[in-house]
Amino acid sequence: MKKPAIALYAAITVGLLAWGFYQAVYVAPPDAMQGEIYRVIFYHVPSASVAFLFFAISLCGSIGFLAFRRGNALRAQAADAWALAGAEVGVVFCTVVLVTGPIWGRRAWGIWWTWDARLTTTLVLWLIYVSYLLLRRFVAGPQMQTLAAVLGIFGALDVPIVYMSNRWWRTQHPAPVFGGDSSAGMAPAMVTALMWNMLAWLAWGLLILVLRYNVERKHQEIAAQDAQNALEA
Amino acid sequence: MDPREVIDHQFTVAAYAVTWVIQLSYLTWLGMKWRAQKRQAARNRRNPR
Repeated sequence: MKKPAIALYAAITVGLLAWGFYQAVYVAPPDAMQGEIYRVIFYHVPSASVAFLFFAISLCGSIGFLAFRRGNALRAQAADAWALAGAEVGVVFCTVVLVTGPIWGRRAWGIWWTWDARLTTTLVLWLIYVSYLLLRRFVAGPQMQTLAAVLGIFGALDVPIVYMSNRWWRTQHPAPVFGGDSSAGMAPAMVTALMWNMLAWLAWGLLILVLRYNVERKHQEIAAQDAQNALEA
Repeated sequence: MDPREVIDHQFTVAAYAVTWVIQLSYLTWLGMKWRAQKRQAARNRRNPR
């Protein structure tokens, strides 16, 4: 029952990604100012949104771990696995943002990178979560999960700063398309294509998030079994 | 075709291709990790220390 459901979900996700690609490349009209290069946003913006969502999941997992670590070890381990899965998959999506953004910038601005507030805070966010993953990889001992949870919470504080950066400060990065001033907005066909891609990348992200969570739970199970065997030996 | 459009197209293709390379590389790495863990769990069940 479980395997067919996963296969069906994966098939729907692939279908959504294909439909999103079709919408982005063939349906959305070219932009009056930017021409064809603006189509990068159909992968760039959904990736940023999914990264923010997954860092929020990581935040919830980190808080959950700190809340349950003394009273309910099982729940604490599950929360820790969500924290790790959210951070790692969030880093993957954030990497996509940091690569596709400069590709667009090279054509639109003539430069790959500039140290404006939106770009810099996004890079800092990525660095914080890469540090989080390195901490989990290389620090051993019982305090590792607690340290990681604290870093995960601090890291998540950067998410609203990244989101608000082009509202708080003058940036070279384009102004917000949604929730911006009265001149902001997109043609309806562009909005439709963007929403399909949002949905498709969210579906894809959730698929790999759940897979990563299960891998971590398996890892915890093996580690617990190894510890038990060592005690019995 | 306008040369500007051609370059725009090449940059868009590059952005889309890089996105897929990153996502599929991560999925492959995750799949390998999943398989390795399944094997280790099976080994632990067969040979408890």
